Amino acid sequence: MEYVSSLTGFRFDGRRPNEMRQIRGEIGVLAKADGSALFEMGNTKVIAAVFGPREVQNKSQQIDNQALVRCEYSMANFSTGDRARKPKGDRNIISYSADHGSKYINTFDASFSGKNLKQIDIFLQVLQADGGTRSACINAATLALADAGIPMRDIVTSCSAGYLCSTPLLDLNYVEDSAGGPDVTVGLLVKMDKMTLLQMDAKLPAEIFTDVMQLAIEGCKAIASYIREVLLENTKTLECMRGS
Amino acid sequence: MVGLSAGEKQFMHGGIAQDLRSDGRQRLQFRPISIQTGVIPQANGSARVTLGTTVVIASIKAELGKPAPLRPDKGKVVIFIDCSPTAGPMFEGRGGEELSSELSVGLQRCLLGGKSGAGAGIDLSSLVLAEGKICWDLYIDGLVISSDGNLLDALAAAIKVALSNTGIPKVSVIVEASAEDQLEVNVSDEEFLQFDTSGVPVIVTLTKVGRHYIADATSEEESQMSSAVSVSVNRHGRVCGLTKRGGAGLDPSVMLDMISVAKHASENLIAVLDSEIAAAEAAEDDGS
Repeated sequence: MEYVSSLTGFRFDGRRPNEMRQIRGEIGVLAKADGSALFEMGNTKVIAAVFGPREVQNKSQQIDNQALVRCEYSMANFSTGDRARKPKGDRNIISYSADHGSKYINTFDASFSGKNLKQIDIFLQVLQADGGTRSACINAATLALADAGIPMRDIVTSCSAGYLCSTPLLDLNYVEDSAGGPDVTVGLLVKMDKMTLLQMDAKLPAEIFTDVMQLAIEGCKAIASYIREVLLENTKTLECMRGS
Repeated sequence: MVGLSAGEKQFMHGGIAQDLRSDGRQRLQFRPISIQTGVIPQANGSARVTLGTTVVIASIKAELGKPAPLRPDKGKVVIFIDCSPTAGPMFEGRGGEELSSELSVGLQRCLLGGKSGAGAGIDLSSLVLAEGKICWDLYIDGLVISSDGNLLDALAAAIKVALSNTGIPKVSVIVEASAEDQLEVNVSDEEFLQFDTSGVPVIVTLTKVGRHYIADATSEEESQMSSAVSVSVNRHGRVCGLTKRGGAGLDPSVMLDMISVAKHASENLIAVLDSEIAAAEAAEDDGS
């Protein structure tokens, strides 16, 4: 299949190879959570809720001098094109969410000094999946953590890139993602310019991999500047509401 | 879980007794409802209902299937509710399962009618394309995103709105004489049929707190309830289903009183939903 038109150089959905889908972030979408955010990348839509910092529920999990970050990832039944018949408790989902949780512990090395309040729960709910759910989840979680007022060293953003029809492509959608080509997902601590997540699931020559990874990093930076805008906007609104 | 101090409890009980609740509402007043339709483009129909700070999403998906052998002239409708952990840490892991299945059963009772499919809010016969061979299977998925009490009413409202937003592709069955079981169908991707949702009921839950009952309880108020009665009422004022929760017993006369009050409250709710549906549809048309 031709994923990049040889005539115009455009992709299926009309984007250029290095163009991202439309992104949208919204803070404070849930009233009951300590921090919450909605993040959309094209048709992919994720809600993140953060509860905490609170007391560690299971004392055996407590680690001194470090926050306990837990994460649960769930996909709504209607999030994919074909309705998932299996209700919750799918093994795949459970292992995926454990996998996700461990990533976040690395990603958000929360270095705040709350005395006894050390547990942070991040719950991610995928409302629509159209490729790049992992990236969207990380971006949503970043916004939600900021909304919860948890001090972070830096903001983490994520973006994916792939390689199809001998062209590096930024931010794959579902069709491109399931084409079987490599899919490189990068998580980046933007200010420090350090990578916290790097994943690839197919083979790729080393020199091309560098290009693809570089493209994903550029994507992360673009998302970071958008997230900063959203946070700034939110802070301004809060300031306005306080009436200084 | 909601923890209330003795003072807060007394304040709440006193307020309810004086017909002025903690958030300024009267006993039978609902929180403001807002509705958005078409929130899940991948589904045939969807809606998000926000009731105060309770947020639920309902999505309707239609798939071609085979009618059950015992009821060849009826389509199938499945209701599945899920409580997302974003609504609270208590729904983490399998924590939400009990509440989810309780809500699913409650909605099935109110929307789907008896085992034979008679008296259902959704006309199951209209889902059949070829008797005994092909029908639409309707999957109704509800997702609780934020939970602040009165989930059942919010979910029923979301399902009602989502059904009115649902377009099912028009299907023409190509008569094939040679094959016995296999029928060929032609699913149109241009023409859509709208559902008749006039028979779909709404649910009004009356929660008994102390000596009085209140409509649209918040989670704080629900934590103090002795029992709750969920009555589903359709447009014609007919009671379609009834669920009582909570351990405390109710006097039959109080029960009858509650049913008639719920019936009255449902008229307002249906009117509000109708106007919100019209507004949401207008907004969606503008957007596209």
